[in-house]
Amino acid sequence: MAATLKPYLTAIRRTLEAAMCLENFNSQNIERHNKPEVEVKSSKELLLTPIVISRNKQERVLIEGSINSLRISIGVKQSDEIEKILCHKFMRFMMMRAENFVVLRRKPVEGFDISFLITNFHTEQMFKHKLVDFIIQFMEEIDKEINEMKLAVNSRARLSAEEFLKRF
Amino acid sequence: MTEKHTFGGEPISCYSFSKDRNGLALSLNDNNVNVYKKQGDSWTETGCLTEHGQRVTSIDWAPKANVLVTCGADRNAYVWELKGGDWVPHLVILRINRAATFVRWSPDENKFAVGSGARLISICYFEKENNWWVSKHIKKPIKSTITSLDWHPNNILIAAGSTDFKARVFSAYVKEVEPKPSSTNWGSKMTFGNMMAEFSTGGGGWVHSVSFSASGEKLAWVGHDSSIGIVDAANGQKLSVVKGKDLPFYGITWITENSLVAVGFDCCPKIFTQKPNGNIEFVHDLDIPKGADDSKMTAMSRFKNLDKRGAAGAEATTVLKTQHQNTIMQVSEYSGGKANCSKIATSGVDGQLIIWDIKSLERSLAGLKIA
Amino acid sequence: MILLEIHNRIVEETLTNKIKNALDGNKPDTVDVTVADFDGVLFHISNPNSEKSKIRVSISLHFYKDLQGHGADELIKREYAEILTSPEDGYNVTVLFDLENIPPNWEELVKKTSLLKRNCFASVFEKYFKIQADIEAAKKKGTAPPKSERAVVQYREEETMYVEALGDRVTVIFSTIFKDDDDVVIGKVFMQEFKEGRRNFQQAPQVLFSHKDPPSELAGTDARTGDNIGYITFVLFPRHTAPSAKDNTINLIHTLRDYLHYHIKCSKAYIHTRMRAKTSDFLRVLNRARPEKKKEKKTFSGKSIRPS
Repeated sequence: MAATLKPYLTAIRRTLEAAMCLENFNSQNIERHNKPEVEVKSSKELLLTPIVISRNKQERVLIEGSINSLRISIGVKQSDEIEKILCHKFMRFMMMRAENFVVLRRKPVEGFDISFLITNFHTEQMFKHKLVDFIIQFMEEIDKEINEMKLAVNSRARLSAEEFLKRF
Repeated sequence: MTEKHTFGGEPISCYSFSKDRNGLALSLNDNNVNVYKKQGDSWTETGCLTEHGQRVTSIDWAPKANVLVTCGADRNAYVWELKGGDWVPHLVILRINRAATFVRWSPDENKFAVGSGARLISICYFEKENNWWVSKHIKKPIKSTITSLDWHPNNILIAAGSTDFKARVFSAYVKEVEPKPSSTNWGSKMTFGNMMAEFSTGGGGWVHSVSFSASGEKLAWVGHDSSIGIVDAANGQKLSVVKGKDLPFYGITWITENSLVAVGFDCCPKIFTQKPNGNIEFVHDLDIPKGADDSKMTAMSRFKNLDKRGAAGAEATTVLKTQHQNTIMQVSEYSGGKANCSKIATSGVDGQLIIWDIKSLERSLAGLKIA
Repeated sequence: MILLEIHNRIVEETLTNKIKNALDGNKPDTVDVTVADFDGVLFHISNPNSEKSKIRVSISLHFYKDLQGHGADELIKREYAEILTSPEDGYNVTVLFDLENIPPNWEELVKKTSLLKRNCFASVFEKYFKIQADIEAAKKKGTAPPKSERAVVQYREEETMYVEALGDRVTVIFSTIFKDDDDVVIGKVFMQEFKEGRRNFQQAPQVLFSHKDPPSELAGTDARTGDNIGYITFVLFPRHTAPSAKDNTINLIHTLRDYLHYHIKCSKAYIHTRMRAKTSDFLRVLNRARPEKKKEKKTFSGKSIRPS
């Protein structure tokens, strides 16, 4: 693990733990409704100051808290074109399965690759410390996975080029 | 030293005990209120109140009159009277257009207060001529949802916490039903709706819970900035604040004139004491984890975990070391009253209702001395 | 299967089956098979005029006209003289096997038939390899080199092959379309490896790759430009085009485009499998957040059982 990854993830973990203190809160603006305040943003006193934790220009996390919901948007490292498309493909693949993931937002917040939306309904049904674990593990593994996929493409490319050129 | 009760595992959104503690009304995160009767060590359901159209947000069981009041996200409140074994609802004219969030009977039980997302408090009293409960509104200067209320023992003053980061004390003197009150250390102007005092811990936290001490001289509240604030009216309304290092508290109640118990997102009740100089000090956790639960895992559950969670060891277990497995939503005095409380009750998102024997905990925990 | 086969296996196997069947003295059955090959090529195996004893194999290349201009007909005649017949309607070349009169070298002929597509392509290469040799020879003699134009074969819709003979080399340029933006990127990775791989294989021809714009050789032509277009250039030297090496060179080069796309698709499929696996991994991690619902089951006598 790179030296800067650990403090980066620790900072995110602590922030998420604090931001995941949610309660059931009915809308102040729409009668008989209950909406994630972080999405509707209609009462500004119910929102927490958004926090950006960044490791470098690309790898950063935006954590937006509110009284009944929290949004985590993740920027994933993409150092070249191939990592970019792999990341894009992967995120799209996951977002298409958002209903299985429950906490996954179908669209990322602008400027980020993937967003999670956690509401009080999720923290009522699931353990918040384990939800934090999930986000952290996701972040740890996504880089690794993209890297491995990239290596796989490269090695296939190398092998097929060699096999082809060898025949001349 | 603790008694645990569960009611099906769904989160307990709110509960209230009857005076003799043999009756319990609670809502399991839905639009129903379940009423239970204690039989031995377990609870038997004796009724289900189904009048609310949306989630029930608060319940209060009037100790003397044996009458329930409930309110819900459907903007309604009902007063329930037990008639021949059935709970009969009476609609309350709240005149609010947002969710009702909190309800409490006044000490004399001739009034009750309902907080709401309509940024106001409805003070309700019975109008004999029309045979229904009507309400008066306290509006100013509330800027956001009312999250919690607590009556002063004099039956007139009411404390309110709100998501506009403030704790306030209002006069809820209703001249129609009670004689003119005398002045207190909180102020002398007692006209209805008059704000006696307004406090903030200085941070930006939503106030989640307020509590008057037994004498009514001290007001405590907890905020989302992990703070506890106490104002001592007898001491010139001196404000003391302590900011915790842990997750925010969600509920607070006095257990003596100087000590309180706070519960919240950390899943563990904590005791605090206010020293004579006003400082608030953390005393002790009530929940001391007993070390890892080394229950044996069967082969079946091991493989089930591997399949479902991708791990079989400690990662796969979801059990917390505290007794409550999720946020504690409510705390109340269970026995002994606020002045000299011996037992408290807590309920949480994990669906547990736990009764803590503070006195015996105090005897067994070296660091726990309740002043 | 890292390299693509240059013959058509289905054609080969079908024919072998039929002929073996006939040799064993069984009655021939009817046959009517249409087989697709790369680059939109179609094979049609059938009985002409419903004569079961005869098997006809036809090939259709929609760019056959381009190839004809470069001596495809002559090459086909040379290679398939024994079995060639007039082309079936809608097809470009047809060969015929008579099951009642199977030549002793049938295996060789079957193999050749399965190589029909490759041989059609070969005509262009052979022609230009020869031109190059002629130019070189002319140079040595000091006579005027023969003139040659660039060959343009539209081997797929929107994809073109250019062959050009110069004094000391033959350049073969493929234009290819990447339907998906992602393919461009993956394609680039592959081409990069082709470029670098050559360092280890000095005998291999130089491979160049250009994206969006055609290489300078094609400057001034109507070669397409665009975000999803790539050009692959092979520079073939006499050591590749010499009669002893030319067959191998042709075999390799004419499949390159399909080879490249095949491996891009494989890479994508592999990535997809990985993503699927990882996604279900993540789901498992998320499942850890769900509490184990301990439902108490009661036996008939009222004893409760807690599933562990």
